[in-house]
Amino acid sequence: MAKNKPLKLTDISREVEDRLADIDIEELIPLPPPYDKNGGLPGITQLSDDQKQRLVNNLDGFSALALPKPKNKEEEDKYVRQFEAGLKKLLRKGDNWTFLQPLLLSLEHCVRCQTCSEACPVYIASGRQEIYRPTYRAEIFRRLINKYAKPGGKWLAKLKGADIELNWATISRLFELAYRCNLCRRCSQHCPIGVDNGLITRELRKLFSQELGWAPKELHEKGTVLQLQVGSPTGLRPNVAKDNLEFLDEDFTESLGIKVETVWDKKDADVLLLHSAGDILSFPESVIGFAIICDAAGISWTLSSEIPGYEGVNYGVFYDDVQLARVATRHVQIARKLGVKKIVMGECGHEHKALATVADRLLIGDLNIPRESFMTFFENIVFSGKIKFDPTKNDFPVTLHDPCNVVRNLGIVEPQRRILRYLCPQFREMTPHGVDNYCCGGGGGLAVMSDVNINDFKAAVAGRMKFKQILEAFSDHPGPEVKKYLCAPCLNCKLQLRVIWDYYGVQEKSGIYFGGLAELIVNAMADLKKPFINWGEM
Amino acid sequence: MAKMELAGMMLEVDEHGFMQETDRWNQDVARAYGALEGVNELTEEHWAALNYLRSYYLENGICPMIRRLIKETGFPLKKLYDLFPEGPANSACKWAGVPKSTGCV
Repeated sequence: MAKNKPLKLTDISREVEDRLADIDIEELIPLPPPYDKNGGLPGITQLSDDQKQRLVNNLDGFSALALPKPKNKEEEDKYVRQFEAGLKKLLRKGDNWTFLQPLLLSLEHCVRCQTCSEACPVYIASGRQEIYRPTYRAEIFRRLINKYAKPGGKWLAKLKGADIELNWATISRLFELAYRCNLCRRCSQHCPIGVDNGLITRELRKLFSQELGWAPKELHEKGTVLQLQVGSPTGLRPNVAKDNLEFLDEDFTESLGIKVETVWDKKDADVLLLHSAGDILSFPESVIGFAIICDAAGISWTLSSEIPGYEGVNYGVFYDDVQLARVATRHVQIARKLGVKKIVMGECGHEHKALATVADRLLIGDLNIPRESFMTFFENIVFSGKIKFDPTKNDFPVTLHDPCNVVRNLGIVEPQRRILRYLCPQFREMTPHGVDNYCCGGGGGLAVMSDVNINDFKAAVAGRMKFKQILEAFSDHPGPEVKKYLCAPCLNCKLQLRVIWDYYGVQEKSGIYFGGLAELIVNAMADLKKPFINWGEM
Repeated sequence: MAKMELAGMMLEVDEHGFMQETDRWNQDVARAYGALEGVNELTEEHWAALNYLRSYYLENGICPMIRRLIKETGFPLKKLYDLFPEGPANSACKWAGVPKSTGCV
């Protein structure tokens, strides 16, 4: 495949069906062995001829959104007009009171130093493909705002030579490009001025969702809409959630030889545990682990079976303010009705962002119920002396992944480390870590999105820096003969890791298993006769 | 919406080939899916897993947890991968004519 030509900002509006870039596995940054032989590794699935006929495919050869080609010019023009109207709304306080101030700061103050680009794991991993440079997307957006949403903008744009045309090609490419960013905000953290390209990306997604009705199915129709309607984007209804936990309680009681019992809808409990329902379905050890830890520490806790009180995810964080507010409000109303003292947010990063960060601007007065992260909650329990631990039970190599929305976003860095240093004799950090971590590659909703061939982008490009540093953290035991544990305390991160693991066959080749933090705590409990971490079943 | 011809029917499917109209499913559809993945004959063991998946989905609106599927069929995970090349979520659910699981699972 030919090397990509240099890309200009104005190329985004090129009115042809051409892709702006082709991603070639050989050009990505190299991985450690045995993942360094590109020939023997999976490549990137190309769109089928049928898909090329039906779907917009004008960016980079990936399709996250399966956007159908427009029927005619009228349809194209309608969307372009809606986009232009949306640009103007983003700048109006009445329409965008939540994010107007940080948006303006990010639009006005970029000095184009490109410090952010060198901080972006997608850009670096891609072999510095211009299309993924954080400022490529942001600068196009900035120029569109200047030209189409500010008075006299069109005239000024001509004068300055910063003339990006708003047409069908521009908006259809920008829609896909808005979903090549993990919203991890490492760029923003490294910006000397604090320009937030992640925020700009999300404003772009918000415009598409709120004005054009364009959003990934997995986030909207089968995401927040389904969550508000039946209880969970997984389709898990309250009765099925309860039935599943009844099954799990019995299953774990039988296999562990201790009584495991989930508490539902207990009025005036101290703590409402707000897990992600996906953990019940795909990583039940996490949910059961919480129950065991809370009971052992004598905590008064409960789950809620109200819609959507057993589903802590809030995909609104990724694409839409209105949906975000609807879900977050329901969560706190449910907690208020139960009369609990606080919500403990489970192992889910964007739940933290929704409830602890954004909701701080949203939930005031009676709705401002205390919310705590599981990280500090666990730290207090582990060091309270209420549970006896035997760290030798965790004597295997362990490393820690920092979920962006908990660690970089909220600055919760040490609690989880104090736990791991205490309970895991072979704990080692990856490099870099803490607030400098790399995203798993599934951030910003990508972990939930799997349409067309986007999983290949997630595994080969977006998750590449993370995968590389995980392998390097275990370089003393690279083979499968030593079982190793990657602690990834966030459901979205685990789902993304599963995509990487399936893509490369990591478990078979490297013997690395991944799971959450609760599992390691329970596994180290001295009174538990049987191991909680069961490598064969993970 | 993508379309796909299977067992003499034109079916609406998603971009990964999962049926969108689950009530149009029949056993020939399952066999045709299997053949596409190189499994030319569905054994009793295939049917035990497929029938359980499908009836669970129709009753609960969601696919069963893997743990339940393992317990219910008595097949360990490895066996399920032997039966269904792409695994329970990507092959078995598809062959059983139920939509692809989404939403953090």
